[in-house]
Amino acid sequence: MANRRNRVRIDMTPMVDVAFLLLIFFMSTTQFKPPETVAVDLPLSKSEIHVPETGTIILTVNRTGQMFISDENLAAVQELAPDNVLAAIVQWRERSPGAHVIVKGDKDAPFGAMADLMDNLAKAKTLRFNLMTDLRKAGDEPGPNGASAGGR
Amino acid sequence: MSDVAVAEGGSGKRQGVMGRVKKARVGVRVDMTPMVDVAFLLLIFFMVTTVFRRPLAMEVNMPEPDARVEVPESNVMTIYVAKDEALFMRQGAQPLQPIAWPDLRATFEAGTAANPDLIILVKIHREARYEPMVDMMDTLEDAKMQRFSLVEMKEADVAAVEAAR
Repeated sequence: MANRRNRVRIDMTPMVDVAFLLLIFFMSTTQFKPPETVAVDLPLSKSEIHVPETGTIILTVNRTGQMFISDENLAAVQELAPDNVLAAIVQWRERSPGAHVIVKGDKDAPFGAMADLMDNLAKAKTLRFNLMTDLRKAGDEPGPNGASAGGR
Repeated sequence: MSDVAVAEGGSGKRQGVMGRVKKARVGVRVDMTPMVDVAFLLLIFFMVTTVFRRPLAMEVNMPEPDARVEVPESNVMTIYVAKDEALFMRQGAQPLQPIAWPDLRATFEAGTAANPDLIILVKIHREARYEPMVDMMDTLEDAKMQRFSLVEMKEADVAAVEAAR
């Protein structure tokens, strides 16, 4: 008796149960990022407003100033010629009147393109919209001296 | 099978009484360790890859397109963002002077402290990038300036900026 090791058996069943429960939860909630059809490098901002995930109209401006309109799925991205931006915004606004308009501009997009887009939004009576940004970390100051422009 | 049962029973008594081997239940132990390993591996993978973060945004409220507000020139501070993103400022009708990005916030705060009715007018060159616009809005937000005007440079402004270099 003295030299025989008393093996302690731990019942792992509850732990495994919990592990599988968590596994199923994370598997079902994980949404893999849809492949981005338009690559956009967002500017940094201290703003921490969350945009709604559904019911949005996303206006994407890429780094060359090309414009695209889509809903939040970014699946059916429609490219816009400069002359029909206004018509497209009006049409999309009519189709979903309560939708939030989100402008997703590349930080290297020319300001002229953004200014034209904002003019068109004003003409389409969209005076409230959001500019999609990434969070600026503390200590990173705005302007070309900040780290935000360091990788250029 | 019977051998196992006998061994498990630990005595020959049963065999003797019943006259035949009673089929004893043999607990089949499946080693679950590899399965649990895989489960945890997947669990960790999904926990790490799950992103709960939603995209962030800035709120923009534009005035009515045909809204006109008359402002005395002395209450206007104009910031020019040139094509190469150099900054120039002009207080009222004074000449343009260069300004650095890090001094911008202090300038706004000093300006509002001196004149609470100060209005900031930001003029950005069409060929400048979009990023300085967001940076400018961030700086204005930091300086608690909620009201500002954002326009593109006219040719006269471009000429004025070039002359001030």
